[in-house]
Amino acid sequence: MEFLFYMGDVFTPINFGLLLLGTIGGLILGATPGLSPTMAVALLIPFTFQLDAAQGLILLGAAYTSTVAGGAVSAILLKIPGAPANIATTLDGHTMARKGEGAKALQISFLASAVGGVFGVLLLIFLTPVLAQWALAFGPSHLFWLAILGVTVIGSLDSKSVVKGLLSGCIGLWLATIGFDDIMGAQRFIFHPALGGGINIIAALIGLFAIPQVITMFAKGRHNDGAEVIKVQKHPIGGAIRELLRNKRAMGIGTASGSIIGLIPGVGGQIAGLVAYDQAKKFSPERDKFGTGHSEGVIAAESANNAMVGPSLVPLLTLSIPGSPTAAVLLGGLLIHGIFPGTDLFDNHPDVAWTFINSMLIGQVLMCLFGLYVAGLAAKVAQVPQSVMAAVVLGLAVFGSYSVQSSMGDVYVMATLGVMMYFLERFGFSAAPLVLGLILGPIAEANFIQGSMIANATDGMSAYFLGGGLNLFLIAVVIASIFYSAYMELRSRRYTSKEEIMA
Amino acid sequence: MKKLITGAAIALASITTGALADGHANYPERPIMMMVSYGAGGATDFQARIVTMTAGNEDALGMPIAIINKPGAGGRVGWNWLAGQAEADGYTLGAYNIPHFIAQSIKGGVEYSRDSFEPIANWGADPAVLVVGAESEFNTLQDVVEFAKANPGKLTTSGAGLFVGHHIAALQMEKAGEMKMAYIPTKGGGAAAMKAVIAGDVMAGINNLSDAFRAREAGNVKILAVADLERNDFLPDVPTMREAGLDVDNSSVNFRGIMVPKGTPQGVIDKLAATVPAMFENKRVAGKMQAGGSPMHIMTRDEVLDMWAAREETLKELLAGL
Amino acid sequence: MSTSSLPRLQHIIGSGIVAAVGIWVAFVSYTQQPSEAFLFPRLISSVFVVLALWTFAKACLGWTKVGGGISVRQFTNLLPGLIIALIYIFWAAKGLGFYTATTLAFFILLSLYDPAPHHAVRSWLRRILITAIFMVVIYGLFAKLLTVYTPREVFF
Repeated sequence: MEFLFYMGDVFTPINFGLLLLGTIGGLILGATPGLSPTMAVALLIPFTFQLDAAQGLILLGAAYTSTVAGGAVSAILLKIPGAPANIATTLDGHTMARKGEGAKALQISFLASAVGGVFGVLLLIFLTPVLAQWALAFGPSHLFWLAILGVTVIGSLDSKSVVKGLLSGCIGLWLATIGFDDIMGAQRFIFHPALGGGINIIAALIGLFAIPQVITMFAKGRHNDGAEVIKVQKHPIGGAIRELLRNKRAMGIGTASGSIIGLIPGVGGQIAGLVAYDQAKKFSPERDKFGTGHSEGVIAAESANNAMVGPSLVPLLTLSIPGSPTAAVLLGGLLIHGIFPGTDLFDNHPDVAWTFINSMLIGQVLMCLFGLYVAGLAAKVAQVPQSVMAAVVLGLAVFGSYSVQSSMGDVYVMATLGVMMYFLERFGFSAAPLVLGLILGPIAEANFIQGSMIANATDGMSAYFLGGGLNLFLIAVVIASIFYSAYMELRSRRYTSKEEIMA
Repeated sequence: MKKLITGAAIALASITTGALADGHANYPERPIMMMVSYGAGGATDFQARIVTMTAGNEDALGMPIAIINKPGAGGRVGWNWLAGQAEADGYTLGAYNIPHFIAQSIKGGVEYSRDSFEPIANWGADPAVLVVGAESEFNTLQDVVEFAKANPGKLTTSGAGLFVGHHIAALQMEKAGEMKMAYIPTKGGGAAAMKAVIAGDVMAGINNLSDAFRAREAGNVKILAVADLERNDFLPDVPTMREAGLDVDNSSVNFRGIMVPKGTPQGVIDKLAATVPAMFENKRVAGKMQAGGSPMHIMTRDEVLDMWAAREETLKELLAGL
Repeated sequence: MSTSSLPRLQHIIGSGIVAAVGIWVAFVSYTQQPSEAFLFPRLISSVFVVLALWTFAKACLGWTKVGGGISVRQFTNLLPGLIIALIYIFWAAKGLGFYTATTLAFFILLSLYDPAPHHAVRSWLRRILITAIFMVVIYGLFAKLLTVYTPREVFF
């Protein structure tokens, strides 16, 4: 209960002001295409030079919390996921926005974020020692199996065609190998200088999701009938809360998978949303509605994203190991004040540690309030014509992909992938499995190579990759996931009529 | 057209200021960008952000320096970019890590060499250290050497990548101790390599002194030896490798500093070389570096040129057999 | 079934290109050195080629179930926009400067696809206004707030 003792510190005028600033700033930065939470927090580091340690961390913690949630804004309204965490949000969120339910999608996404986020921070407060052990339990062999588990999700993520889903995944896995091989340093598939640094994941996300949508709007041509207008209908907040309460299962699955997966160093943050989305879909009686603007999809994805925030800091705060790039940046924010995370932090600077954690708790609530306000604003900008939307998304895509690392090469990669994806989509491929391949490829490869090096020096490949409880458990889950997908595929074939196939 | 306008602008600038003929008197006129070839939050990135934080002061450059991260493949991605694609106009700087980029250029497969860059100044020197988990049965460097000799190729040792400082230290240890270790490069840099040691995925690790110091403060690791010529101020109780019986010199010490791509106007290089070391000496910079456990070591452009040349020679010798 | 003949040909071409890429990837993976670095690409490309050939075969037999292809109408609609977007991204952004190029591309695309009549002064004023607002927001966000230095070149 130590955290309650320091709760008052959050509400001093300066601290609370910084918390507000961080929350609002974070929402804006998070909603900006191309700015991942890591970059947003890195941008704020110079401001914390002037502040004392607790104040600096309040600013950074609030910004981290709200950039993760802010990414949902561009994912829902523009179909530009701000970070890998928001990919799953676009799947149903943007479809809702196209149906005119943009405000509703934003409201439930912020409410789900707040519930997941508060749960995640509470886990951080109460279960840190247990969680730290769990985070360390994942060695190279386990991360390899975890990535393979992600790959098995590829086939079922896109319900239209399992073969094309897997093929999209393969294209993604291949794209991920372009550039320098991370461990050996060999050059692979660099057929243009812009690819020298490999394919930047943020630039690729923008291209793969935003550009096909721009071209689709072009393909509709000039319409004079006024039908091609994106409306955002007003939606009462009470309705959104009721919607959330109706979907407790999606909420629970999202929060649980977000908190568990978010804990795993180096992997969690990127795939938590997608895994939660996939699980919610598998357990839902209305699984056919996923991808067509179903609120369960948004709830699962967004609650997972924010549930991940708290646990992702566990390895940093207890073991001084930054488990994610964002945690690494936060580590910098601690170090410049001469505070070392770990026992030093909680023993000698409990005020800093607990004020930081409390500010993330309060930050979740503030983020939700401001988010709901933003959703209300979105509803006021009542009608956006498709032509304006296409031009806006294109402009933001170019600026967003350039600003990732000030590189024209990323803009070229973004555009090339985007145009390619448009044509692939016309032939039944989809972007989500491709992106999952792009994210999981490097994780699977690096851990496999690293694991096999350790295995060769110690007990041998089969003992290393197949031995131990956690390995066996993960392999069992992989096999179960494959069988489940195959079963669902066969069942849906039996019930799919001829007309549906043609449509 | 473009050249004409630039030419006219330079002409105009030199008329109005009546200053140096090379037209760099007003440098810098806009914010400067500095490329760091490791990810945000890594040791190099963290230190680069601190040492450049006073660049905007009037007594320094008068313009802020913004950090751009281009991580990948142990730094190769960023340095390739700096050598091949960055504009050599003085507004694009890069952070260097020695011995990393020189070792990689000797090994080949990259588009840069020592001659592709012009050093400006050095800010830090971070020696490599040998760490083992807090619960490990190894208590001295001697224990580790004995195990490695008795079990050739069985001592799994993590490090940040191939042909970076950690790997050089491992190679030197193998050579000096006439033993074979299993060096495990990790993706994700020093933090991932440290995690592997703490979690017990590997038996030992080579890591940055600054990160290892922090991990030891948190009670997670034991530091057995420093790969440097002298003991470090942060770790007065830890022996150097030589003291502990392995003839390893300071070739693997990670020198960090600022450089520019070849082709940057001489006037700009001179101006930077004159102001940057003083910028590093700023009290606030030193205070923040000390607080973060990052050892500083300021060197001027001429000293760095000598250091680069000396390092290239030793590394060529060391890597010749591979 | 006459309407489906166009998508069928398109599916053959589309999946043919994917299969060709897959074969190229496999070829490069199995021939390039060092082989340790290409272990993973070999694994991926093998699966890639099998799946791509399967899809290609299905397309040739006309068994493709998903994907509507592109109609002639859609293609003529999207072509001008795509060409402008590509000129904007691959040449103008760097050649003219980011903000100039974005303003031009934004305005041209808006004029091409905006349903409002092309002869009315009011609709032109509206387009100019929307472009101006967008550019102000972009400039404030990227240049001022985030201090991203974009290529300037000839213009701004």
